[in-house]
Amino acid sequence: MPTAFPLPSDLSPATVSNTASLLRIVALSLISGAAIASRLFAVINFESIIHEFDPWFNYRATRVLAAKGFYEFWNWFDPTAWYPLGRVVGGTVYPGLMATSGVIYSFLHALNLPVDIRNICVMLAPGFSALTAWATYMFTKEMKDESAGLLAAAFIGIVPGYISRSVAGSYDNEAIAIFLLMFTFYCWIKALKLGSALFGTLAAVFYFYMVAAWGGYVFITNMIPLHGLVLILMGRYTSRLYVAYSSWYVIGTLSSMQVPFVGFQPVSTSEHMAALGVFGLLQIVAFTQLVRSHVSSKQFQDLLFVFAVTTGILGGVAFVGLTYTGSIAPWTGRFYSLWDTGYAKKHIPIIASVSEHQPTAWPSFFMDLQFLIFLFPAGVILCFHQLRDEHVFVIIYAVMASYFAGVMVRLMLTLTPVVCVASAVAFSSLLDTYVDAAEPEHAEESSEAAAPSASKKAKKAAAQAAAPDTGSTLTDIAAAATPTKKGEKPKTKAIYGLDTRLAIIMNAFGMLAFFVFHCTWATSNAYSSPSVVLASTNADGSQHIIDDFREAYYWLRQNTPETAVVMSWWDYGYQIAGMADRPTLVDNNTWNNTHIATVGKAMSSSEEVAYPILRKHDVDYVLVIFGGLLGYSGDDINKFLWMVRIAQGVWPEEIQEPNYFTPQGEYRVDDMASPAMKNSLMYKMSYYRFSELFGGGAATDRVRNQQVPKVGPTLDYLDEAYTTENWIVRIYEVRKEDLLGRDLKSANAFALGKKRKRSKPVSRRRAIV
Amino acid sequence: MRDKMLLRRCTVSLLSFTLFAAANADSFENTAVVRTIELGGSLVHVTTTFAVKALEAGSSVYTVALGDVEKQKTSWLEAKVKGQAKALAVLDRGADSTNGVHLLDITLPQTLGLNATINIVLDSVQTHVTYPWPERASQQEEQALKYEAGLFVLSPYHTAVQRTKIRSTSPSIHSYTTPKALEDFTLDATVTKTGATITYGPYNNIAPSANEGFISKHQQPVVVHYNYEYPVAEVPKLKRTAEISHWGANLNIQDEIHLRNAGPALKGHFSRLEHQTQAFYKRSSPHVIPGITLHLPAGIQNTYYYDLIGNVSTSRLRVAPSVPKNAQTNQYSVLELKPRYPIMGGWNYSFTLGWDAPLADSASWDKTTGKYIVQIPVLTPIPAAVVNEAEITIILPEGATNVEFATPFPPVSSSMSTHTTFLDTTGRPAITLHFKDLTEKHAQPIYVSYNVPLSAHLKKPVAVAVAFFSVFAFALVTRRLDLRIHKK
Repeated sequence: MPTAFPLPSDLSPATVSNTASLLRIVALSLISGAAIASRLFAVINFESIIHEFDPWFNYRATRVLAAKGFYEFWNWFDPTAWYPLGRVVGGTVYPGLMATSGVIYSFLHALNLPVDIRNICVMLAPGFSALTAWATYMFTKEMKDESAGLLAAAFIGIVPGYISRSVAGSYDNEAIAIFLLMFTFYCWIKALKLGSALFGTLAAVFYFYMVAAWGGYVFITNMIPLHGLVLILMGRYTSRLYVAYSSWYVIGTLSSMQVPFVGFQPVSTSEHMAALGVFGLLQIVAFTQLVRSHVSSKQFQDLLFVFAVTTGILGGVAFVGLTYTGSIAPWTGRFYSLWDTGYAKKHIPIIASVSEHQPTAWPSFFMDLQFLIFLFPAGVILCFHQLRDEHVFVIIYAVMASYFAGVMVRLMLTLTPVVCVASAVAFSSLLDTYVDAAEPEHAEESSEAAAPSASKKAKKAAAQAAAPDTGSTLTDIAAAATPTKKGEKPKTKAIYGLDTRLAIIMNAFGMLAFFVFHCTWATSNAYSSPSVVLASTNADGSQHIIDDFREAYYWLRQNTPETAVVMSWWDYGYQIAGMADRPTLVDNNTWNNTHIATVGKAMSSSEEVAYPILRKHDVDYVLVIFGGLLGYSGDDINKFLWMVRIAQGVWPEEIQEPNYFTPQGEYRVDDMASPAMKNSLMYKMSYYRFSELFGGGAATDRVRNQQVPKVGPTLDYLDEAYTTENWIVRIYEVRKEDLLGRDLKSANAFALGKKRKRSKPVSRRRAIV
Repeated sequence: MRDKMLLRRCTVSLLSFTLFAAANADSFENTAVVRTIELGGSLVHVTTTFAVKALEAGSSVYTVALGDVEKQKTSWLEAKVKGQAKALAVLDRGADSTNGVHLLDITLPQTLGLNATINIVLDSVQTHVTYPWPERASQQEEQALKYEAGLFVLSPYHTAVQRTKIRSTSPSIHSYTTPKALEDFTLDATVTKTGATITYGPYNNIAPSANEGFISKHQQPVVVHYNYEYPVAEVPKLKRTAEISHWGANLNIQDEIHLRNAGPALKGHFSRLEHQTQAFYKRSSPHVIPGITLHLPAGIQNTYYYDLIGNVSTSRLRVAPSVPKNAQTNQYSVLELKPRYPIMGGWNYSFTLGWDAPLADSASWDKTTGKYIVQIPVLTPIPAAVVNEAEITIILPEGATNVEFATPFPPVSSSMSTHTTFLDTTGRPAITLHFKDLTEKHAQPIYVSYNVPLSAHLKKPVAVAVAFFSVFAFALVTRRLDLRIHKK
């Protein structure tokens, strides 16, 4: 058989397979290393710190778990969250993440390795990304072969779409969930292939872990039944499917119900009904198969028809009836928002106010996946070539995940693994074709007529062909080298010559190289900021750390009473609880819309209206984020409209969004600002004494690029308690009622020596001058 | 060498104990006593010079007296002969419950003949003697403190002439006590003020005063209310952990410091605007601690400064190159430590500061006994601050035996325990010492000596090797075991 380049001939099959296996292990460990290393930008550029918002809660919960043990954590009631309601943490949390860190912590401490719990939490996501790479390798291996597996592992290891959720310090449920997702899918495919109850059970166990770790487990709950259903509809029912699905569903569902936060949901909510339905369907199909093997064909036809119709009707009626009576909960709002992107904005503004719940902009597909997004469809089409059961799975997964990723930025994460798998299949097919040394057999006939160089090559090839049995693909050298393949027919379709091969392979490696550059760039620039600490550069180019958040939180922690209640917008709830260790009114676990709306109302109404609300909730300090001095755009004035909207949802007659705009419909903070805006607590707290900082010059808000009024707002019911170095965080203390029973406004006026009758004309004249 | 020194100290104290009976009111006369009080914030330096004349031949123990309160507040004390560098041994005779005086015996370098004279300088540092007055001050206001002391320097001997100078850092002194009923001692003005100095005395012909009769009749409190232009820093709690590692040739020192501004509490609220304005016009208020400058040892590495919520990035460190031990040098690594926020009056700030130092800079090995001797400073001096409570834990290498330690001054309590860390099998011996009211003057080394046998050194690698080999052995066995039910 002709080859395009010489192949070693004196290798024993054992040597080849051993070398290949060693190379695979080395490649996998290098991929793991790359996956971990590329996630460490945040630690190297900043420090080992927990990022953003939700991770702070997870970290705090993990500290409780590590310090007090699992049972204390299980029964933990946190009185400082949602003051005065409190939060039953053990029952309202997916404990998988904390339990994982807790187990690692206990294990290391049992070995007398005193690793700080914070470092475990910070490094958990990179560590699990290495495991994800391995799980993806195993999964892709089932789709095609090991080389595709290695490619998929390398892709998922560094692809920004996954890194965005798993950099060091991003201690969130997704950090371990993607590994669990991939490994559950792998176990499922393996169970389906082998008809193995063991792998079915393994899939169930990892499904349970996934349920304990992330709310996104519903994706698996619906993907596997969908796969099963499609297989049945394709007429591919086998006993393997029956064994795999039944063992997964029964064990998985029972174990998932052990998670307190999930409880009876698997049998009582609509999201989980598909799995139950497919389970029932499988039983029916299995039963009919059994009956068919015992009953004659005509009788069977009739029997089957009656049976199928009655069970179908009964099942449907039961489902509708149960939903109607309330035994089965209807779809939740978050679920509806997956089908109708405008739903959340209309009905649940709190969900819409989160940036990661917005529909995905198309550039972010390229940003997160780069060239994989082009290869992805090719890989999916390649799956149709063989269309084994597992290929059906990838196709369904690709379709579903693509839709969800388009609906919500956050769900880009579930798309990423399948993109990596499909792209790896496509890419490895390309490489297989072009790296393969074999040339078509009829090359010799055509080479006579071809150019002399070609005939030279053909001669060379013929010389090579004299050597016994060279393989069809490089990875299959060993298999080809065995004598059993001797009689195999030579390929009729393959590539001629080295030049074509080199051109394609160079191009392919160029794409890979650009992918690596892009991933590194995207990771270091877009996804590695802790957002607790901001960085800027000094005039001399050195890094300058802006640490206002921690400055304020630490001040609260050290210099206020431990019971001081802090009110802030819910975004900062977890951070205040985690860093300042003080009770908060609302936090990122946005379960109580009314409570959040109360805070929104307090922030958006005038001092006189807000004060009773503050006092009723025992608020001691109010914390606002103000970016006007530094140009930090994620501040509270920019989020203010969401507060207004959410408050309006509950008190439509008191708070109206249009009042906060100018008559021209502009959102302004300068002299033109609407009276409702100027009187709102948020506006006053943000700009209190801000203009004085400019010493009579024009005070410019650098976020909104507007000049704030020369005479700033005054506060009667609050006192400025602390402002950070760059004015990003401002903390106000709520005054206690006046001892003499006056309202605070007149008490203030008295203290300033003003006459009781306000000399309005004077001040007006002053304002004109 | 250390042991010898210890021995000598013991013999000295023994010696003075035997001479205890020799001290009585007739053996000396104070020809002149001058007390100088340098007013400060947390610390007040008091230097008392006794010009002494012996009335008996062969007197060698001179006794000084401190009032009960004064003794309580004196956290450091040293006696010297004027002009000499060597400190004299001081023996605390304990409180005398009847008359409220505390007697200290100073052993003179040589016995004095009749009418021989000597000048003894008693240097002391008092802590917790000042308090802010008014107790609250706003951001723009100045800081004023009050200091209280006894008018007379007490002494068991007759004193010919005595005066007390109180020096402030600034001439703006709001008020001071004018003592009355001093006709017995002086006919002139009882007190004079020149610039920043207030002088009480001279008072002549004072009878032996270390007794209840004199104290109740003549002793009276003197209060000075003065402006103080520097912040008053206080460390309510300091926890130092020193970990000696032979494998890493490393001495890790970690301080958990709780810093507090003991000046007047902030009146009203903190205004960043005013703070920034003051900083802009370089008129920052005296009672803000914007940062502290610490002198860390030379040659340190991996310095870290963090608090409960992470690294604090606002500090600068200039590391001096490593200095061999016992070298006469004052090379320091300078750390300009800036807290997350300016510490206003009454505010707290707790943080952790640590570093690694080469062990060779502070350890040596005694060939004769085979013992290692390591010196560990009690604390890193925090300028002009008092450490109320200090807990010092010294963690020795795993398997260290014959542990002995010598402290430069007696601790409040000490205990031994076992500390298990970093792949330890049996744990490391740890010494925990508690101290009270430490000042810059207390930054002296604690000496620890111990043996480490070779077997102890090898404990860790052996343990790790055994653990790894057992894992491999387990893998080896499981790989070869066939647990399948249906064997192929």
